[in-house]
Amino acid sequence: MFTKKFWVTSMLLMLVSALVLAGCGGNSGSSSGKKELTFMFRGGTDEQKAYQAVVKKFEEKHPDVKVKIIVTAADQYATKIRAAITGNSMPDVFYFGPGDLKAYVNSNVLMNLTPYVENNKDVDLKNIWKYGVDLYRYDGQMAGKGDIYGMPKDLGPFALGYNKTLLEKAGIPLPDPKKPYTWEEFVKVNQQVTKDTNGDGKPDVFGTGFNVQWALQAFVWSNGADWLDASKTKVTIDDPKFAEALQFFADMQNKYKITPSIEEAQTLDTYQRWMKGEMAFFPVGPWDMSTFEKLPFDYDLIPYPVGSTGKPATWIGSLGIGVSAKTKYPKEAAELVNYLTASKEGMQQLVDAKVQIPNLLDMAKTWASDKSTKPANKQEFINIIDDYGRALPANYTYNSEWYDLFFTDIQPVLDGKMTAADYVKQQQPKMQKLLDKAVEQENRSKK
Amino acid sequence: MSYSQKRKLTNSIIFIVLLIGAVAMIAPLLWMLSTSLKEKQDVFALPPIWIPEVFQFSNYTAIWEAGPLLSGIQNSLIVAVSVTVIGTFTSSIAAFAFAKLRFPHKGKLFLALLTSIMIPYPTLMIPQFMMFSKLGWVDTLLPLIIPGLFGNVFMIFFLRQYLLSVPDAIIEAAKIDGSSYFRLYSSITFPLIKPAVAAQLILWFMGIWNDYLAPIIYLNSPENQTLQLVIANFNATYAIQTDYPLIMAASIVALLPVLIVFLIFQKQIIESVAISGVKG
Amino acid sequence: MNIKSSLYRKEMIYGYLFILPPLIGFLIFVLFPFLYSLYGSFTDWDGLGQMNFIGLDNYKDLLTDDLFYKAMFNTFFLMLGIPIGLLLALLLALGLNRKIPGTTTFRVIYYIPVISSLAAVSIMWNWAYNGDYGLVNQFLALFGIEGPNWLANKDTVKPALIIMTVWKGLGYTMLLYLAALQSISRTYYEAAELDGANGWQIFRNITWPMVQPVTFFLVVTNIIGGSQIFTEMNIMTPTGGPEYSSASIVFYIWQKAFGNLQMGYASAMAMILGIFIFIITLVQFKMNERSAYDGD
Repeated sequence: MFTKKFWVTSMLLMLVSALVLAGCGGNSGSSSGKKELTFMFRGGTDEQKAYQAVVKKFEEKHPDVKVKIIVTAADQYATKIRAAITGNSMPDVFYFGPGDLKAYVNSNVLMNLTPYVENNKDVDLKNIWKYGVDLYRYDGQMAGKGDIYGMPKDLGPFALGYNKTLLEKAGIPLPDPKKPYTWEEFVKVNQQVTKDTNGDGKPDVFGTGFNVQWALQAFVWSNGADWLDASKTKVTIDDPKFAEALQFFADMQNKYKITPSIEEAQTLDTYQRWMKGEMAFFPVGPWDMSTFEKLPFDYDLIPYPVGSTGKPATWIGSLGIGVSAKTKYPKEAAELVNYLTASKEGMQQLVDAKVQIPNLLDMAKTWASDKSTKPANKQEFINIIDDYGRALPANYTYNSEWYDLFFTDIQPVLDGKMTAADYVKQQQPKMQKLLDKAVEQENRSKK
Repeated sequence: MSYSQKRKLTNSIIFIVLLIGAVAMIAPLLWMLSTSLKEKQDVFALPPIWIPEVFQFSNYTAIWEAGPLLSGIQNSLIVAVSVTVIGTFTSSIAAFAFAKLRFPHKGKLFLALLTSIMIPYPTLMIPQFMMFSKLGWVDTLLPLIIPGLFGNVFMIFFLRQYLLSVPDAIIEAAKIDGSSYFRLYSSITFPLIKPAVAAQLILWFMGIWNDYLAPIIYLNSPENQTLQLVIANFNATYAIQTDYPLIMAASIVALLPVLIVFLIFQKQIIESVAISGVKG
Repeated sequence: MNIKSSLYRKEMIYGYLFILPPLIGFLIFVLFPFLYSLYGSFTDWDGLGQMNFIGLDNYKDLLTDDLFYKAMFNTFFLMLGIPIGLLLALLLALGLNRKIPGTTTFRVIYYIPVISSLAAVSIMWNWAYNGDYGLVNQFLALFGIEGPNWLANKDTVKPALIIMTVWKGLGYTMLLYLAALQSISRTYYEAAELDGANGWQIFRNITWPMVQPVTFFLVVTNIIGGSQIFTEMNIMTPTGGPEYSSASIVFYIWQKAFGNLQMGYASAMAMILGIFIFIITLVQFKMNERSAYDGD
């Protein structure tokens, strides 16, 4: 059965693999004489392409530097970068969220970028969103001030989009970005849109379909409630205003029936329904622009409907680009960060690829006033940053476990099996416990 | 109805039941194959198309560009081949020593080795990870290779059992002839246990080829990832774009090598699994 | 005398030499990490440098950690697939043990899922469980049943995983049963038939007792394997499923250790898992010893 040949082949294979292995070992040193930087980031395929192109341009301008790119899918990034950090194989340049800032600085993961950013003739800090830069400042006690440990790769204002073509067809007056809908108006418009067009007894065009994890904030904040108090140490979801907003969010599905039903709805599906033009309102982030460009309908941006405060709200996402404290080439690494975040040339390429909004204020201005590209009302993104956007609650805390727990258990509320009031009451102590743990951990890591 | 007629009828019913079962087992895999040959939008056709009108072999050419599939195959091969070949050598020679040589504390040492079967990998993975990270081996294939080179306790256990059934007389005779101990192993013992070794080696190879937990912990860079991680990343990346044909094509490619090995050696593999009861 | 003792010494040296690699491997890759993990479980180890001794705090926290209980519950729930798989496999093996055409082909077909890569198979089932276009729901639609979106619903995600694990493991279980069945001597059956026993009586009094050791072995190995389930959920429900309803204990350990950098806490869970498996294995060894004596 197993002939001599089998064994000879196996042995040969072993030999070959051993040789290849030896080869691998040799490669890890920089043999080419170039300074090799590793850049680890995440993003969809369009973002990947865009960033790869910019990095290539950077290499052309710095012929002595070679950048090795590690890119992962968005879901996997957090575990991958943490494994790399604990695993002592940290990339030189990498994305990190503002929520990780304190932990990374306290444990000496991030290099202080201040000397490379301030007093650098290529970087005009005043021309970059202050909100964004402040997200990556930390003075050892409080985030938001002190030294700069990362540069914002961009800001991600999470706006609300609407399907212009669909509303026009339904004979509904287009929403005015200056006068946001109230919740009641929003429901009414949505109910007008939700229809069964093919006569099978089930609606196939829907008003909307929000993912709770990314859209609930707009409703809670606009209703005057929040996850945390001002000290960022107390979970405040048991506020009746919070419960009211959450209840309204759930009612969109269960009571007003303006979203796909439980059976029909899953995030991927609502996203696809929007893309197919079967949904009137859907959140739009700047990173969606490249994909939505190819939509078979026209869309534009408006503020989220407003709750009892009368003021719209939504969150601004951000990812920072930082440099490893252990990098062999701090200067080159910092230059790469600056090229990606603060240079006209690099930024223009990324903006042209439609994967983000400009990081530079002057560029953002011209960009927003250009009505010829979709979405026409790009100004809405800018308004969110300037006016009514906020950071996600977990950005303020040492870790996000307490916040994640809120969404882990929320399904019964969305399904209408539990009231929002009961849920917030039940969940508050559990979240508080995790938050207390995070605070305790933060204090321990400081000394 | 006569006895033999009754028997025939029962057998036909059983045959049909087995056939239905076999269809159920193979159908998902066939469907995977069919999906991999479709065009992107055809996967959403209702009712489903089982045999696409035109076979889209282009998916199978596109996958090589869409992700580091080739390096994934290489990496999986490097890990699986180096571990199984060297590890089989260390395991079989240890099994030989445990079964046929006399030295003090043999039983205790063997028992100590056996305890490692009782400790699951997840219990060890965190310190192991930190250990390898201190060596700077994270994001290389070394953490997947090095531990295996020291042998596989399952294999030692199984080969030792097998060797116990080989009469001592042959080996004692050779000992008295003055053969070296390595020769005792290489030219007398090893040929005797070759079939068992080969079957174990193939099972181990499949186990490593299909491993997922250790690679996902250690490997970051796309070009360092093993095949299983590469296809998992295909899934994560292209599911959003609903490019299922591409994902399925990549998965088929990942299945194929082991499937071919299995189909060639199915008799031996099935027999050795049945005998050993050691999971493959 | 002298020659003999020097021969003996030589044999001893070679004996140790030959078992040295696995022994070193055991010390470096099993014993040391195990002790380190044990120590780590009493610390607030975060993998970045911090490692303060905090006594039993991790274990105390585990007692009130809902997600830990959930992950434990999920892991045990998924083991419901074990008896289902055993039953189906035994029935199949009984069928294949008869003189019918194509047994070899059947064996190979049933075994293909076993050797298939778990990652690839998980990806495939992920797609097969798609609510709108998946194979499973299309099959159900043939009978007029509108299937759920399996993996996105907390009530169906675990059954979905069970179906998949049964499908994947069936061939292996069947094979072991078949081997056990074939080793039963024909004379038992002939004697029983002469006594006029019916099919059920034969099964109950001959077949079942004879395959019992295999059943026991399979139960134990399946529990050990089942308690370490990870790949399926990592690929099919990367976030742990709706309301964490498909997260297994290893999934939670992995997430805590490498996602949240709570290595100490994760080590505590890993120890609990380790102790559980240790006990199960010990039971198996003891039972094996007993059955070995019984068999004589």
